[in-house]
Amino acid sequence: MAADILRIAHLHKHFGGLHALNDVSLVVREGEVLALLGDNGAGKSTLIKTISGVHRPDSGEIFVRDRQVTIRSARDAIELGIETIHQDTSLAPDLSIARNLFLGREPTHMSWLGVLAPMRRDEIAAAATQLLGRVGITKRLDAAAPVRMLSGGERQSIAISRAMQFAAKVIILDEPTNNLGVEETNGVLRFIREVRDAGHSVVLVTHNLHHVFQVADRAVVMRQGQIVAGFDIALSSMVEVEAAITGADVAELLAAGAAAQGGR
Amino acid sequence: MKSSRWAKVLRLPEVSSFGILCLVVVAFVLGNRDFLSPLNISNMLAFLPELGIIALAMTLLLTAGEFDLSVGAVFALCPVTMALLVQNAGMSFTLALLIGFLIAVAVGLINGLLVTKIGISSFLVTLSMLFVVRGVALYATQGFPLKSLEVDNAFVNLLVGNAYIGPFRIYASFWWFIAFVALAIYVLDYSKAGNWISAVGSNRDAAVARGVPADRVKIWLFVITSVAAGFAGLISALRISSASPVAGTNYELEVIAMVVVGGTALMGGRGTIFGTLVGIFMLRIIRNGIVMVGVPGLAYNIFVGAIILVMLVMHALMQRRHGRA
Ligand SMILES: Nc1ncnc2c1ncn2[C@@H]1O[C@H](COP(=O)(O)OP(=O)(O)OP(=O)(O)O)[C@@H](O)[C@H]1O
Ligand SMILES: [Mg+2]
Repeated sequence: MAADILRIAHLHKHFGGLHALNDVSLVVREGEVLALLGDNGAGKSTLIKTISGVHRPDSGEIFVRDRQVTIRSARDAIELGIETIHQDTSLAPDLSIARNLFLGREPTHMSWLGVLAPMRRDEIAAAATQLLGRVGITKRLDAAAPVRMLSGGERQSIAISRAMQFAAKVIILDEPTNNLGVEETNGVLRFIREVRDAGHSVVLVTHNLHHVFQVADRAVVMRQGQIVAGFDIALSSMVEVEAAITGADVAELLAAGAAAQGGR
Repeated sequence: MKSSRWAKVLRLPEVSSFGILCLVVVAFVLGNRDFLSPLNISNMLAFLPELGIIALAMTLLLTAGEFDLSVGAVFALCPVTMALLVQNAGMSFTLALLIGFLIAVAVGLINGLLVTKIGISSFLVTLSMLFVVRGVALYATQGFPLKSLEVDNAFVNLLVGNAYIGPFRIYASFWWFIAFVALAIYVLDYSKAGNWISAVGSNRDAAVARGVPADRVKIWLFVITSVAAGFAGLISALRISSASPVAGTNYELEVIAMVVVGGTALMGGRGTIFGTLVGIFMLRIIRNGIVMVGVPGLAYNIFVGAIILVMLVMHALMQRRHGRA
């Protein structure tokens, strides 16, 4: 079995009186796609934000490759190899594709100048062009074009390839196919598979079970701040997973399905 | 494709503004031959750096998505403080200068901290600061300008000394301005800091998610803008050897106009120093040229407002035609 790359143990997070994360434990294995499922308000985004340095947990431990870590900021998470991508909030629309790809990690000359150091613009442009060739977006994109000209799916692919480029160990995607068309969605799903095949681990938050069954290896389900079930996708049915999300009984769901078909 | 690249350049707002600037200059030259006389050009260049230096800093601040309405008041308070300390308290010029700048730093720091840490919009914070700072300048001087600000100091020559280059009389402040232009272009377009400034203004959350210290970037820019305003005020006061508590009134609006006329986005994300340069010259040249061609001085603001509107409409129309939101 593949090694654990990220392990979370007994994580708690309160928002005032709300227990948003209640004793959450979870592992992400090397080179897998793990789906994180649950109804609205289950705590998925909160969990992800805690891992990516947006929120601090009240208690609990996080291990990266069996080493305990403290994640205080987005920078900490990135340096540990954890990249998080939120739809629409991950790119700066006014910057070029190339500049977005290197944002926060700009290669510079004379780095003793600190933030005033000049960027290696040639290197950035060349690396961006090369990366765009790999992304596999059907249209050829110009690395110098501002991101605001791109479609939602193209932006998503750019954000994912940025995470790949810095050899992130874990890439977390919070509802990456929201608001995307059929073709763009398929592009992102294909891309997730490619990322996994390249050896990265992916955590995929989504409400779409069809996507889960297309790309995920395992799934965990959250309800009211707790992890309530885990599935090996190859060995599970969609009905089971759906039941875990809604908290309904599987037999009940199957009966309802049969009744609906019988009524037709 | 070469032609499409050219089309792209022509579509940039700062380029269309530059076109209008050229038209304005031609119109003024036709209206009065003396518009391009060495004397008139020298006069324009004498005033220009004072608002120009503030506009450069304001461009960076606007690009990061914030603006500062307190610059006009800081423009007055900085030299007033210095003059009071030298004339009434007998302090040395150097020490007084230092304290003047510290006040500018403090104003910028308070602006920046209130905007980023408390989360009040920069409009409200800096508007309040405008009243506070202007009020302090008025109260400290009891409303009277401090005259005969004659200081014998090598530094003063560095700021406001002047020399003839051919027929043109050029003040030292103009060379400072050129240096600041180069620095601002470097910072915004070439340095890592520039990438961060644009990213913070374009999508703050995205920048933060990439580990960019967005709050620190903004606080620094508020401080830089405030110090630039104090510096400009000092140059102005030393040039006319008088520090007035009402100096720089309405400068905040004129400076912001210069910046947005040049094509920098008021809501952040996109800044252009070349555009600001065009804006600085545009407003200065209009102010000067309108008088030269015989339009009554009181009608000046009508033209300024109208030209700003024309430019903004042009920028907006072009953006609507060629850009996705
Ligand atoms: N910053 C916050 N302050 C207070 N409450 C919060 C905050 N963020 C989230 N919550 C609450 O925590 C709970 C979990 O929210 P979270 O965003 O993690 O849900 P989610 O599983 O991502 O849901 P969705 O599928 O709708 O995105 C919700 O009840 C939400 O209202
Ligand atoms: Mg969510």
